[in-house]
Amino acid sequence: MTVSSPRRVLSGAGAILMAPVALVARLLDPPLSALQRVGGTNGMAAFFLLPNMAVFGIFVLFPLVINIIYSMTGGTALFLTDRTFVGAAQYQRLFDCRSYVDPKSCTDDLFWTAVWNTAGFVVVQVVFMVVVALVTALVLNRDLKARSFWRAVFFFPVLLSPVVVGLVWRWILQRQGLLNFGLYELGLTPVNWLVERNWAFAAAVGVSIWAHVGFYALILLAGLQAIPKDLYEAAEMDGTRPARVFWRITLPLLAPNLLVVLVLVLIRAVQIFDEVYVLTGGGPGTATLYLTQYIYEVGFASFLRNPGLASAASILMGAVLIVLTLFQLGIARRNEMRGKR
Amino acid sequence: MSRITLTDVSRAYGQVKVLHDINLDIQDGELIVFVGPSGCGKSTLLRLIAGLDRPTRGKIAINGQDVTRVAAADRGLAMVFQSYALYPHMSVRQNLAFGLENARMPKPEIEQRIAEAARMLEIEPYLDRRPGQLSGGQRQRVAIGRAIVRNPTAFLLDEPLSNLDAELRISTRAELAALHERLSATMIYVTHDQIEAMTLADRIVVLRAGRIEQVGTPLDLYNKPANLFVAGFIGAPRMNFLPAAVFPGSAGATIGIRPQHLRRADDGESTLKAKVMLIEQLGSETVVHGDADGHRLLAVLPGQQGLETGEEVMLAYDEENLHIFDENGLRAD
Repeated sequence: MTVSSPRRVLSGAGAILMAPVALVARLLDPPLSALQRVGGTNGMAAFFLLPNMAVFGIFVLFPLVINIIYSMTGGTALFLTDRTFVGAAQYQRLFDCRSYVDPKSCTDDLFWTAVWNTAGFVVVQVVFMVVVALVTALVLNRDLKARSFWRAVFFFPVLLSPVVVGLVWRWILQRQGLLNFGLYELGLTPVNWLVERNWAFAAAVGVSIWAHVGFYALILLAGLQAIPKDLYEAAEMDGTRPARVFWRITLPLLAPNLLVVLVLVLIRAVQIFDEVYVLTGGGPGTATLYLTQYIYEVGFASFLRNPGLASAASILMGAVLIVLTLFQLGIARRNEMRGKR
Repeated sequence: MSRITLTDVSRAYGQVKVLHDINLDIQDGELIVFVGPSGCGKSTLLRLIAGLDRPTRGKIAINGQDVTRVAAADRGLAMVFQSYALYPHMSVRQNLAFGLENARMPKPEIEQRIAEAARMLEIEPYLDRRPGQLSGGQRQRVAIGRAIVRNPTAFLLDEPLSNLDAELRISTRAELAALHERLSATMIYVTHDQIEAMTLADRIVVLRAGRIEQVGTPLDLYNKPANLFVAGFIGAPRMNFLPAAVFPGSAGATIGIRPQHLRRADDGESTLKAKVMLIEQLGSETVVHGDADGHRLLAVLPGQQGLETGEEVMLAYDEENLHIFDENGLRAD
């Protein structure tokens, strides 16, 4: 009796598994070869790109064009054919203000309230998010016990649905929520976290950081681990104090990753919606009403919905995001070039 | 003055012991080379001396002062890393100044030291460039410059030439030797390249599996290797090892003879008969791979020898060039 070696058994199993693939490849070969003879190599590239382009066209490009058209129509009707062309009237309405810094002086005061709320949210959230992500990455980069476990713990919220995040934190922060129960048990005065204006803003910022910081910390952690250990040893030989090591070595070498994180956080902060919507509903009053929620409510949820106005606002927001995205692509390209050098 | 003394230094990582009771006295101004195959513990030993790692047991002293628990920066040593470890975002000037700024040295003195080192190493034109804009050789000089400006007690060099191409390695090796001469500083140099060790060292420390096999001058090690390992490691091509029985009338268990010490025999000489298996014609010399009584034999013969594969050749040797080892692999004579 002969005994097959494990390698031979594996290679035999591989051949069996690959058989259907080989069959399909053999069947496809003649028509694809013929296609290449007719269309050439570039034609083949176009052929393979076609499905992707079709999906992109139907689900991204077409809605974008429709959105632009919607933004130039008026009325509450949903179907384009039932809507009247109003030109730039929706944009004029959005920009009709005596003073842009005073939303109350604007025809559409909610839009400008949302714009300024979003701007405030972006400034505070971006600064805190980057700092917290950096501190988290620095801690996770140390020789901790059960380091992989801690990394998983910080990354776990990223995997949660934003609605779940919003609900969980609402249970914790609401008037009779977990946090107030804890405060009460400790003999402290409960706080109306989601009712008081500043606390609601802090909750929106805090929850969005909690939900996403793991992702950005991971990018920074990858950057930290790419810094050669030799540099730190050279700094140690040079008698460098830890704070100086951070400011003069770690931070400059992490700058490309930090810039990527900064722009990604910025884009995401401008788009903030789901977890805050579930958490505060934009309240108290309009204290946490952000731009995406404004667009959603004007377009779909309000009693007198105005899809044209919502489209115009979304186009303006899109323009801001395009500028930020181009900035981010520029950074990515620059990093790539630096990597090649 | 800088004398470094290691007493019973051991290092273990968990259950794995990588250095065993190392005892070594490095004299002031000496260029000592740690050499050995990969994983022998030479870089670990250097890191222990540098203070980048701590010994599990034993004592490290500099000029008689115990520095075993002293931080790397306070030992007064400078290290040149295998990867150069230059700060990529700083100019060459900033790289050289960084350590001095840490010590809060006055700016004019920093400038003066940088100018001096730059002149010595001929890196003045590159002072405002970043490491990424320099060639491998230039980076290497900057790394040495960074060590020089600190005016250290001793220089520690961890395979500093291993990232250079063959030609540059030879010229930089000569420059390093000249630098050592000029600075008269103690240098500890780690390499796995025995030619580097032979050409640079005042003394060589041969390490294997975390133990010192032999310490001595390059010619000591070449002429009187303490055991089979050192005999095989020092010298290129490697020494031939044959059972003593192949050499009529020889004592010991194993006889070693360097390939360069074999020549084609004249009448009446002590000879070995070998069948030619392969010939390498190098122009200035001929390397003959032979088979002597079933044992592999290498001979480096002068000039261009008219030999054919399969031919039998009589090779002669001088008795004083035979190295005799006992059954434990230790030198017997």
